[in-house]
Amino acid sequence: MTEQVESLIKKDYAAGFHSAIESETLPPGLNEDVVRFISAKKEEPEWLLDWRLKAFRAWQEMEEPTWAHVHYPEIDFQTISFYSAPKSMDSKPKSLDEVDPELLATYEKLGIPLHEQEMLAGVAVDAVFDSVSVVTTFREKLYEAGVIFCPISEAVHKYPDLLKKYLGSVVPQKDNYYAALNSAVFSDGSFVYIPKGVRCPMELSTYFRINEMNTGQFERTLIVADEGSYVSYLEGCTAPMRDENQLHAAVVELVALDDAQIKYSTVQNWYPGNAEGKGGIYNFVTKRGIAHTNAKISWTQVETGSAVTWKYPSCILKGDNSVGEFYSVALTNNFQQADTGTKMIHLGKNTRSTIIAKGISAGRSDSAYRGLVRINPGAEGARNYTQCDSLLIGDRCGAHTFPYIESKNPTGVVEHEATTSKVSDDQLFLCQQRGLDAEKAVSMIVNGFCREVFKELPMEFAVEAGKLLEVSLEGSVG
Amino acid sequence: MTDFQQSALQLADKQQAAAWLQPLREQGASKWSAASWPGRKTEAWKYISLAPLQQQNELRWGGEADDSAIDAVEQVELDATCLVFVNGRFNAARSSSLPAGVIRFVDADAAQQDMIQQHLGQVVDSERHLFAALSNAWIEDGILLHVARNQKLEKPLYILNVATPEASAAVASQRLLVVLEEGSEAEVIEHFASDAREQNGFVNSLTEVVVGANARLQHYRINLEEENLLHVGGVHVDLHRDARFHGFTLAQGSRLKRIDYQLNMRGEGAHMDLNGVYLPRNKQVIDYHTNVEHCVPHCTSNEVFRGIIGDSAKAVFNGRIHIHPKAQKTLAELSNKNLLTSRTAEINTKPELEIYADDVRCAHGATIAQLDETSLFYLQSRGISAADATSMLSFGFINELLNQVPEQAIQDYLRPRLASLFGKGDEALGRLSYE
Repeated sequence: MTEQVESLIKKDYAAGFHSAIESETLPPGLNEDVVRFISAKKEEPEWLLDWRLKAFRAWQEMEEPTWAHVHYPEIDFQTISFYSAPKSMDSKPKSLDEVDPELLATYEKLGIPLHEQEMLAGVAVDAVFDSVSVVTTFREKLYEAGVIFCPISEAVHKYPDLLKKYLGSVVPQKDNYYAALNSAVFSDGSFVYIPKGVRCPMELSTYFRINEMNTGQFERTLIVADEGSYVSYLEGCTAPMRDENQLHAAVVELVALDDAQIKYSTVQNWYPGNAEGKGGIYNFVTKRGIAHTNAKISWTQVETGSAVTWKYPSCILKGDNSVGEFYSVALTNNFQQADTGTKMIHLGKNTRSTIIAKGISAGRSDSAYRGLVRINPGAEGARNYTQCDSLLIGDRCGAHTFPYIESKNPTGVVEHEATTSKVSDDQLFLCQQRGLDAEKAVSMIVNGFCREVFKELPMEFAVEAGKLLEVSLEGSVG
Repeated sequence: MTDFQQSALQLADKQQAAAWLQPLREQGASKWSAASWPGRKTEAWKYISLAPLQQQNELRWGGEADDSAIDAVEQVELDATCLVFVNGRFNAARSSSLPAGVIRFVDADAAQQDMIQQHLGQVVDSERHLFAALSNAWIEDGILLHVARNQKLEKPLYILNVATPEASAAVASQRLLVVLEEGSEAEVIEHFASDAREQNGFVNSLTEVVVGANARLQHYRINLEEENLLHVGGVHVDLHRDARFHGFTLAQGSRLKRIDYQLNMRGEGAHMDLNGVYLPRNKQVIDYHTNVEHCVPHCTSNEVFRGIIGDSAKAVFNGRIHIHPKAQKTLAELSNKNLLTSRTAEINTKPELEIYADDVRCAHGATIAQLDETSLFYLQSRGISAADATSMLSFGFINELLNQVPEQAIQDYLRPRLASLFGKGDEALGRLSYE
């Protein structure tokens, strides 16, 4: 059975091509000059440079965290280039027609629509290529609704007050090692602002692509949903296949003001490394949202890529009656390692949170759920429900659960449940007996296992996620 | 090395241990002094502070106490071999005569010394358990229970450890080694108690158990010390082929109580189950860490821990299940339920699964809640006052585990104590408890 599984797992990474695009790439190394260079390149105001430098100095004092259940060689930050941009972007193209066709071809190959086609009118895309944003679609249409959706480097100039107010308000510069690094050298990312009472007319989406060798990608996303507003945001990512490991350290901050709702979905498909565990992306990401009174933040993630994942999308339920949700499918194969989960910090009264985490391990991979549910003394009537299920495919992988549950309020109710199992021979036999081949049967069982999470994804993503899972697991059972 | 580590080591110099124990003592001392002192960032000590221990400067060994201290402790009424220790010192006058197979380390003959040396300090991993290293460094006396092949220990072994407060804080070290040969059977009760006064001592206790093939151990560890005692203890068990370990533990009292259960499934077909209850009140702190290592296939484990945390008390529960790559066909379960009954109480629980084998069934669950409102309403609608209903339900929560205790004498001993804890001895509860 294991052999058959393995033959199935050996499947190429479809997004693993490299685009021959001339880039301006900073030589490897990290020091204050690099931080100043990035800031100057983006023509940033003084306050932001100071902000970055403060983060950089804090980072130098910090130590790389070692508590996660992942193993990788120490990262030498002096061998990474911290800024890389396609040369053609220097001239700042005004419209899509001026953008380097090679760049557009890259996205086309990835299936990301940058032309505002009628067909895909439902999604606005911000495409980030290495360190810069290439294009943001449907901006005018969004502008009519009052929604701001633009690269963060542009927002710095256009909306400095909003940025000053909210940047770092959820994930402070010194939050953790990688957040500090990101705060110092972040290059681009998306900025979203939904005004009071507005329901964003379409899905917003950012697509991240790492292309250049030896570079790291450090994007920063900030989403502010003003009172009573609603936004659904999607994030996708890919990178070329390379033997070297590349670093991706992003920060995402969500602010949901009173009565606002933010739905944040991720399909993470960074290059996971080859079957021998060589190469792949180190994905060290800090994602956190703060929910004010009656607000709701929902994280949905499908994690299939990256050599090492270290990611805990969290909710600070600050306001009374606020709601936090976390739905996750993490699939690891070959030598991938994932340590992912969430934190639900209950501060306000009657705050509620739901955590559904599904881990699937195959090959020689390791996947861990690490979560924290904390009920603070003031969180009267708080409620949490957590369910973590792991599915093991093959006998050389690992699945782990590390839930931290802390309560200081006697009116809170916390439930945590975790199970581990495998695709059982009985289930397979039943399906096969009904005429399905083994592969289809496994795919069906796995999809059923993940259904609770997939149904939370926006339609386009749900289809993609299901396919991704099929590809990643192909041949994993016999 | 911290001051506490230093002075704990100096304490070892004041002992007169036999020469044959020296290698283990030295090994323990070197591990203890090399270990870094745990702080908030040390995962195993994340939620509790060892500061109360460190405040005990000028450590010294506990002294003799008069018999009134022993009389103050009510014993479990049981037809058993009873061994009494006061402040870590063996009290021969109050103890039964030792039957065959129960040996004090200081009285061991050459063959028994060999057996002790073969197992003592071998079950516990003193790299991972800091206070086990200290216990090794402090070995002077202790009890060996050895049950020969296919024998059954006639009477249960009941070990009563009494602590008394002294003019200045004193230290006691407890050590028990249980070796059950193939096919043998035994029942062991470790009872930690104190007289009714407020305590100020520190007890470091360590139990090591080897359950041979097809052997069976019924084990109890009851910690009922009064306020302010500091207790760090461990129960470390090796289970061989088809061995059985049935455990029950209950903890109450103490300003700092940390108990580690480590169960190593080393032989196929072994089974362990462990039920635990913790009931911290006032400003007490109770921390249970359990770790089940499934090293081989076809083993089963089941743990159930329940706690009621009141006043300004704090409880920590950490239950780890580790399935090694070879341990296929394992069944492992863990459940931890908690009731918080006060605004200032705190519970931190972390059930952990670490799984490296695919054909296993593992599950864990943890809950934190309060008494069910509908149950309370139901009782009130039947004319029971809110206060009585609360104590009945709280007691019932624990009583479920108490009912599973196979030794009736222990049930009878604990039930009225727990009933008075919740219900202040009211009648409704009395009826319920003796049902």
